[in-house]
Amino acid sequence: MFKLNLKIAIRNLWKNKGFTLINIGGLAIGIASCMLLLLYVSYEFGFDKQFKNYNTTYVAYTDMKANGKIHSWAWTPGLLAPELKAKYPGVVNASRSSYPFEQLISYNDKKIKNKGLFADPSILKILNYEFLSGNVTTPLNNINSVVLTQTLSKKLFGSENPIGKTLKLDNEDLLKVEAVIADLPANSSIKFDYIMPWKLNEKRQKWIKEQGWGSNFCLTLVQLRNSILLDEVNTSVRNIYKIHDNKLDNNELFLHPLSKWHLYNEFDNGKSIGGKIGQLRIFFMLAICILLIACVNFMNLSTARSEKRAKEVGVRKAIGSTRKSIMFQFILESTLLSLIGTVIAFILVEISLPYFNSILNIDLIIEYDNWRYWLVLLSLVTFTGLLAGSYPAFYLSSFEPVKVLKGFSIKTGSAISVRRVLVVFQFVFASCLIVCTAVIFQQLTYIKNKPIGYSQGNLIQMAAMGNLRQTNKIELLKNQLLKSGAAANVSLLSMNIDEGGNNTSSINWPGKNPNDKVLFNQRGIGYDFVSTIGAKMIEGREFKMEFPGDSNKVLINEAAVKIMGLKNPVGTVIGYDGYKCTIIGVMKDFVAESPYQKVAPMIFNRAYHDDGGVILVRLNEAQNISTSLAQIDALVKKINPDYPVDRKFVSDSFEEKFESEKLLGTISNWFGGFAIFISCLGLLGLALFMAEQRKKEISIRKVLGASTSNILTLLNKDFIKLVVIANLIAFPLAYITINKWLSAFEYRISISALPFVLALMVSLIIAILTVTIQSIKVAKANAVDALKYE
Amino acid sequence: MIELKNIEKYYATKGIKNYVLRHVTTTIKQGEFVSIMGPSGAGKSTLLNILGMLEEPTYGVYEFLGEDVTSLNERKRIELYRNHIGFVFQAYHLIDEMTVYENIEAPLLYKKVGSSERASRIANLLDRFNIVAKKDLFPNQLSGGQQQLVGIARALAAQPSIILADEPTGNLQSAQAEEIMQLFQQLNKEDGITIIQVTHSEKNATYGNRILHLADGVVKDDVKI
Repeated sequence: MFKLNLKIAIRNLWKNKGFTLINIGGLAIGIASCMLLLLYVSYEFGFDKQFKNYNTTYVAYTDMKANGKIHSWAWTPGLLAPELKAKYPGVVNASRSSYPFEQLISYNDKKIKNKGLFADPSILKILNYEFLSGNVTTPLNNINSVVLTQTLSKKLFGSENPIGKTLKLDNEDLLKVEAVIADLPANSSIKFDYIMPWKLNEKRQKWIKEQGWGSNFCLTLVQLRNSILLDEVNTSVRNIYKIHDNKLDNNELFLHPLSKWHLYNEFDNGKSIGGKIGQLRIFFMLAICILLIACVNFMNLSTARSEKRAKEVGVRKAIGSTRKSIMFQFILESTLLSLIGTVIAFILVEISLPYFNSILNIDLIIEYDNWRYWLVLLSLVTFTGLLAGSYPAFYLSSFEPVKVLKGFSIKTGSAISVRRVLVVFQFVFASCLIVCTAVIFQQLTYIKNKPIGYSQGNLIQMAAMGNLRQTNKIELLKNQLLKSGAAANVSLLSMNIDEGGNNTSSINWPGKNPNDKVLFNQRGIGYDFVSTIGAKMIEGREFKMEFPGDSNKVLINEAAVKIMGLKNPVGTVIGYDGYKCTIIGVMKDFVAESPYQKVAPMIFNRAYHDDGGVILVRLNEAQNISTSLAQIDALVKKINPDYPVDRKFVSDSFEEKFESEKLLGTISNWFGGFAIFISCLGLLGLALFMAEQRKKEISIRKVLGASTSNILTLLNKDFIKLVVIANLIAFPLAYITINKWLSAFEYRISISALPFVLALMVSLIIAILTVTIQSIKVAKANAVDALKYE
Repeated sequence: MIELKNIEKYYATKGIKNYVLRHVTTTIKQGEFVSIMGPSGAGKSTLLNILGMLEEPTYGVYEFLGEDVTSLNERKRIELYRNHIGFVFQAYHLIDEMTVYENIEAPLLYKKVGSSERASRIANLLDRFNIVAKKDLFPNQLSGGQQQLVGIARALAAQPSIILADEPTGNLQSAQAEEIMQLFQQLNKEDGITIIQVTHSEKNATYGNRILHLADGVVKDDVKI
């Protein structure tokens, strides 16, 4: 029986090649989209969960009250980890580590800039990295030791055995390779290429040891005995700052699970408010919806064919088949289709993965050796087969044989209305997606075109390392750059211009309420900073070579003036970190952190060169850019020969701020497109069916004198109605969704009618095209052919 | 074998009852070859469908082999039907996607007959109807007469005790029609299969041994030949 059913199923599919193609094509695209999105979602969900102890590992967060708000971040004092480990019995391990940073590491004459991390040895107990060779038990106990990842070890040593070899960090410290670990999985939050003992960090940066509880500069990982203890430990550590330093009564500590670090990364007033998880939920919904659309499509096409299958059902029943076995046959057919669809989907996924990876900048692969993957796949096939096949199965098997066999007088009214509902459902989804995509696009364009307060084009930033930490060398470079004609202006900044962080609340001004804590971003800047970045001064002047002795002078930005409430800011003396400083200028706001948020108050002091920082170079526009770049590279290399030249266009780094929204935009574009495409296939099927069903009516109308265009109008009218209804349902839904998304941005567009009009137009045009192409054949056919059969 | 008592069938449209069958009472014995005749709309096909359990009468009692069919549940009815009734249609109603062989095999599959038994029965039928060479062809590759042969073979495959035929020769040319009718007669005489056919043709009716004349849903005449 099964074999025969299978054979018939295949013959049936083969006989209706067009239908099968539409059906399988739609299904394959649907399943492929769903698989891609699910792959991505599972990749994001897997973040930091590779570690054996991920369930009991936590990241220490500091809550800091300032500007009347609580800011939460994962920066903690260096004293925290030892204290937690020593005094709290629930804590098994605690380790502090620096945030990973790029640093030069060299072996003989091989010099590579890679990400390094300083950490307590216990980090290797908390996070069980896979050791490939070397000292597994105590790799970081020696102050001059290092653990490399496999890739870095290959880069440095090739096929040599790296264990015991000596490397040089930053041309200063010697490091002995103790062990090699496997490369870190792409979806782990802490990423590094080599790891060194914290003690070395303390040796290299003398200030670390002098810091008290008020200085938050390291990441603290905490492993608890078990996860039940979390609330208890959280309560007891909450006031740890106040206990050690009663001036820090604005700071509180809490532990955030490692497994939620990546996805629940946003806090509002000390409460976790989600973060990336929101986007993932959207993607997950999108995956399910696309699959549903594909299934709906399938149902539509299958039931549309019901007239042709009705006779078969009738005969089968007349020769003794039960309803169950007929249902089984239809389910079998749909499962077969979904299986074929899945195989094709696989191919599609494999083809599109590299592209998908490149736009998402991640590394997804299909894990063929993972049984979970196959399980998901198998259930996807079964689910799709059952879901897609269930309606046709129930509907078709319900035909009464007599009615069918007597001549095709089956009542299709109910089936048509169900199909209509399904088509409306598809188009609701499609037009929702069009609206959302359009609004996302508008918002992105708006933010990108919003003035950021300085000019990004032709602005280069490069980290000042090695020799470039010396004031005279920087001066030399500056002079040479200007003289060569490559640069129009050169200045210094204490950190990347597009980077956030580094703030202080210890600023006092006349008329300040002593209870208020206001957070200021602080930056050190060099001479000619404002003219280099192309920002504007509102009042006063900036630091210039011509005015030496600016050590106790500061600049502030507009936002700072507003929050301080100063009428005549220039000349005002304020308290800054306990020193008295005079404001000499007010800078127009420029965007340093998120372009989506209002600019925070900022304070600028003179940069001290030995702190390192970033050299900003404004290219000379009169000169060819590539020539300028070559000159810059040559000059920098000459002054700082031990380091590779590491320059970046600010516009490139700034672009990265849009990554998350761009990702959303790209994904909704692509998958929205797929959803619309699949919906069109559904419409095509329905149109095909309608045209077929109304053949007789059309023929009679033609005999009575209707023209082809009359008939096309007649056929299109129905569908236009459906699409309009779908749009009417979709609009409020889309409005609510997109409004919610937009509300997360401080700077946002107001929703206009344009996206809605666009959605309506696009869906109408698509619908009319599909239906017309399909029905023109029927409309042009010879009327007699259809009537003869009656 | 078949007992019809006071069978009535009507369709209600907008409260008006359109009677198709009225007070049909008759008995059909094992081995009879009955032809149901009458003008269009007389209710012939409806009567045949009720006999074949494809339709239910509105009133009345229908006993098949002593069992009251109207009171049976669907599963029992299908069971009864599978084992005892074979249907032959005017439009043949072969399944287009199945080969000749598979079409004949289908009822046996539903009846869950073992594979070797299946093979031998089908081989017999193919042999008997001289269609061995055609067993791998699809219905649309056959002539009408050949298709009806396959239809009959399919009806016989389940070894029914009764064959119901709804104008089995209605779509055929006279030579082929004659062939089919002779086949029916042979089945009736040699194999003892009860046959009930609906027909328009007086000539076809003469192949049988009893004629029921139907007009406006009422049995007007019951003639034994």
